[in-house]
Amino acid sequence: MGLVLLCCSAGAFAQEKGVLTLQLNYSVGIPTGSFKDVIANNSYNGFGGALMYHFSNSFSLGLETGSQQFYQKTARQLYKSADGSDVSAVLSNSVQLVPVMVRAQYNFLPHGYIRPYIGLSAGGNVINYSQYAGEFTNDSKNRFGFAARPEAGFYIPFGKYSRAGFSLGAGYNVMPFNYNGISNFNNITARAGISFPLG
Amino acid sequence: MRRVLTIPALLVLVIIAAGCTKDPVSRLNTDETRLFITNHDSTVNFTGFKTFKVSDSVAIISNDHQRKKTRDSYDSLVIAAITTQMKSRGYTQVSNEDKPDLGINVSQIINSYTGLVDYGNYYNSYYDYWDPYSWGYAGYGYYSPFVGTYQVNEGVLSVDMFDLKDAAAYTKIKSIWNGVIRGEGIFNSSSVGQNVKALFEQSSYIHP
Repeated sequence: MGLVLLCCSAGAFAQEKGVLTLQLNYSVGIPTGSFKDVIANNSYNGFGGALMYHFSNSFSLGLETGSQQFYQKTARQLYKSADGSDVSAVLSNSVQLVPVMVRAQYNFLPHGYIRPYIGLSAGGNVINYSQYAGEFTNDSKNRFGFAARPEAGFYIPFGKYSRAGFSLGAGYNVMPFNYNGISNFNNITARAGISFPLG
Repeated sequence: MRRVLTIPALLVLVIIAAGCTKDPVSRLNTDETRLFITNHDSTVNFTGFKTFKVSDSVAIISNDHQRKKTRDSYDSLVIAAITTQMKSRGYTQVSNEDKPDLGINVSQIINSYTGLVDYGNYYNSYYDYWDPYSWGYAGYGYYSPFVGTYQVNEGVLSVDMFDLKDAAAYTKIKSIWNGVIRGEGIFNSSSVGQNVKALFEQSSYIHP
């Protein structure tokens, strides 16, 4: 009930039409589906930024980028190599995702103290995938591919009259990557950040 | 003006993001950097051999050429570790006069790669860090009449097992097993025992 009241409270500044805002955020990545066959560990090494132009109090469009690095080390095991030899190695998989996307965001309750939003980003993604056996590169592939992310969250202004605020959101990254039995690096992302107007 | 500056700022963020990969190798401890690789002739039945001898020195092979044979303290530890493993499997150590069934050679293979650095270009590429202004010659460029070299050495410890029992029949000394160790610290005396043991542990078929 309290949340509903906060969302519906009127009188705070909206992120106004014609304003350019910069969003900076920290993100956690959670591998899903077949990505977990490569790396099952969550990534706590992510950040991003977006430059958004507000066409109205509710709708904004802009560019975003960032980085999320996933890593997993597998304890020493014996592997059979293609030439028939037995290889004992510690395998390390590393995936870095650097999306560069166009982002559209719609803010509900533009005058509320808690403003739910939905967003959709689409564009490209620089993917750096590498696998090491011990300290030696076993496999490596860098590729630029498609990326998209539907997202939802909340924006909370720092104060009643503040044009800057805090945001919390979660989304699902669709990131195809067809290589050597890997089909995608799809992952859930949870983000926390701040946004503030430029000018 | 601020808006104009934010686009390059976002591009800088992309470049920083792309460069923020933490090197996976830096997360490994010394033991984890190592590879233990073994291979063998699957047609060979190791139970057909009873005796062995390990060569009394280690060959140093550099860039595919044998340079010398050595027997320093490290080499002695490697030979002793292999002998221990073979004995623990049930093989009997004998001398050459007693015609061993198996012969074991040990090699240190060291391959070197040499690259060139053009210091003129190198310094000019890093002009901002090594600004000639700091020497009192603002506006000057760097020039170097020579190029520098850098060298990368990779060392491998290789253990080869040969069938001496059937050498006369084949008129060849046939290799039946090979073990290779690569990675950090493999030429440290303190890790010799565990490294050699690892090779044998993944070769359970070696027993009389």
